[in-house]
Amino acid sequence: MRPAMRVLRLQGFPIFRQLQLEERLMHKTDENWCIFNNGTSPPTIVMGVSGSPEELLDVDAVSRDGIPVVRRFSGGGTVIVDEDTLFVTLICSRKAIPSLELFPRTILKWTGELYKNVFWDNPDFTVHEQDYAFGQTKIAGNAESISKDRWLHHTSFLWDYSPPRMAYLTIPRRAPAYRLGRSHGDFICKLKDYLSYREELAELLEDALGRHFFLERTRLEDVDEEEYKHRTQFVELLRSPI
Amino acid sequence: MSGEAANMVSEAGIVEVPLAQTGEGIVDCELVRWFVKEGECVEEFQPLCEVQSDKATIEITSRYKGKVSKVNFMPGAVLTPCFFGFFRVGETLLEIMISDGDGSFKLEEKENSQREREVLATPAVRSLARQLGIALKDVAGSGEAGRVLKDDVLKIASVKEAVESDITGISSTPAETGETVPADEITDFDKISADRVEQMQDDKVIPVRGFRRIMAKTMAAAASVPHFHYMEEINVDALVKLRAHLQLQTRSKLTFLPFLIKALSLTLVRYPILNSNINQDASEIRCKTWHNVGVAMATDSGLAVPNIKQVQKLSLEEIADEITRLSKLAAANKLTPDDVSNGTITVSNFGAIGGKFGSPVLNLPEAAILAVGRIQKLPRFNEEGRVYPASIMSVTLGADHRVIDGATIARFCNEWKDMVEHPEKFLLSLK
Repeated sequence: MRPAMRVLRLQGFPIFRQLQLEERLMHKTDENWCIFNNGTSPPTIVMGVSGSPEELLDVDAVSRDGIPVVRRFSGGGTVIVDEDTLFVTLICSRKAIPSLELFPRTILKWTGELYKNVFWDNPDFTVHEQDYAFGQTKIAGNAESISKDRWLHHTSFLWDYSPPRMAYLTIPRRAPAYRLGRSHGDFICKLKDYLSYREELAELLEDALGRHFFLERTRLEDVDEEEYKHRTQFVELLRSPI
Repeated sequence: MSGEAANMVSEAGIVEVPLAQTGEGIVDCELVRWFVKEGECVEEFQPLCEVQSDKATIEITSRYKGKVSKVNFMPGAVLTPCFFGFFRVGETLLEIMISDGDGSFKLEEKENSQREREVLATPAVRSLARQLGIALKDVAGSGEAGRVLKDDVLKIASVKEAVESDITGISSTPAETGETVPADEITDFDKISADRVEQMQDDKVIPVRGFRRIMAKTMAAAASVPHFHYMEEINVDALVKLRAHLQLQTRSKLTFLPFLIKALSLTLVRYPILNSNINQDASEIRCKTWHNVGVAMATDSGLAVPNIKQVQKLSLEEIADEITRLSKLAAANKLTPDDVSNGTITVSNFGAIGGKFGSPVLNLPEAAILAVGRIQKLPRFNEEGRVYPASIMSVTLGADHRVIDGATIARFCNEWKDMVEHPEKFLLSLK
């Protein structure tokens, strides 16, 4: 029997609330989850659990333009997300896939196979170092959080992106080798050039997940709101003195 | 340099706990936070700290029950993992004074071999455990008086690698050597690895019961019926857009199948011969009034074909909800006899699993079956003669040639295809 997985499809849900929801579902439930969020508002910069804003952001521009900055609970790098970002999060218990060892690399290998089935008609889909890519261009960033018996893998796909917004992020010091020093525009690609419509990603993903899980659609109002001390918090930036 | 990273135990019963491998080779990790502090008692499997590699935060748990005697690093420190199995290069993360559960702290490791001898198990089971590198003292025996059985050992081996480690959940993987597994060697990741297959010596016998038995009998009977098949391609661009739009308006799970089934029912009104069955001596064809459309479902127990009753009276949402309801029942092996009987025509959506073309077998005593393959993005010419990417779905109709001729199937398929390619035509049938 396939284990059950609850599927939550959101539309324009604020990323700060989504990350806090994911923390709660990861640590306060033992169920398996797939969360799909079609865009978010307002545009927000999301940083990994560690990392210095001064190194990763144009702090002056971010502060000047009032862009919110959130530090999430999972590892990984910094992204700017907005109405053209599609979010997919998988939260699973160890027993859901007993043969899967809970390490970052093995989890990424598993999810890579899942997304290979999602993008079945694109032979260029690959996992490049730790990114999902079509050929040499990145289509999504991902990050994970792993505990003893649970794991979370979240991914942000760029349906489209705004180059001015990308300028808030600096090129990270530790970049994957295949980036080859390219600018954001040359390094990442837009999912809208490959899929017909935004919801198609969720549908293809459900088809692929359905091979491993029995999917149950869930509404946000049916998710328990438990007390939890979240690590996902807003970051206060210090502008350089004038 | 120690040859075994696990055996870092001093005579005083203190275990030095390194940052063991996180499954990514020797990759520096940053210590994010501690969950314990010096002097605090810890239980086996209790989280000790959280570290971060490039993309992941990972909880490190304790293998021992004891007391934290020393914490060596503050959050923010960058640590090199221990490359165990060869030599140790990493730092000691913390030190734990071992407890044996009765309040006293003494070395657990010195008693391991004695504890191993005390576990009830046959020589064959002990030999198997040794081969798999499993310590019998770590196995919960399900036999009488806690005896460890062969299945208990195999169960443990299936969820963890047989290596020594200081910290639960950390073990070596091929990826630690820095090798990349070529893409063509990554097949179905749910399959048992080649190493495990070697250990499965016996053939597997599957009794033919339940759905499997029904399928075997039905297919054997269908083999005697003269089948013919008719194939077509459907451009579902319009349907893809419509479905995406309607899915946002309803809580029902609106896949393509409800649309295909409703279009099938609307077309059957003009071609009732496809919704019929023939008696045993082929002397009488009965055209059914109700459109009880069967949906083939693959379950763990075999192929099940429950049918949606009276589709001609149902809306798209109602059809979608019925598919969901029957799928759940099928997966739980709880379909009733009424669910699977009195079907009049069947739809098989093998495209949901994979595959583009098929030769469906009739679900007797029905006279026709529709098999739907996967939607592909293919180049097609538009009205201006330009190439564009179109969503194309291949379908195969199977029919009983004693009942239906090729021309009838072709005309039926043309009309059904027209409705699917122009779903706005559903509105013409509204009453």
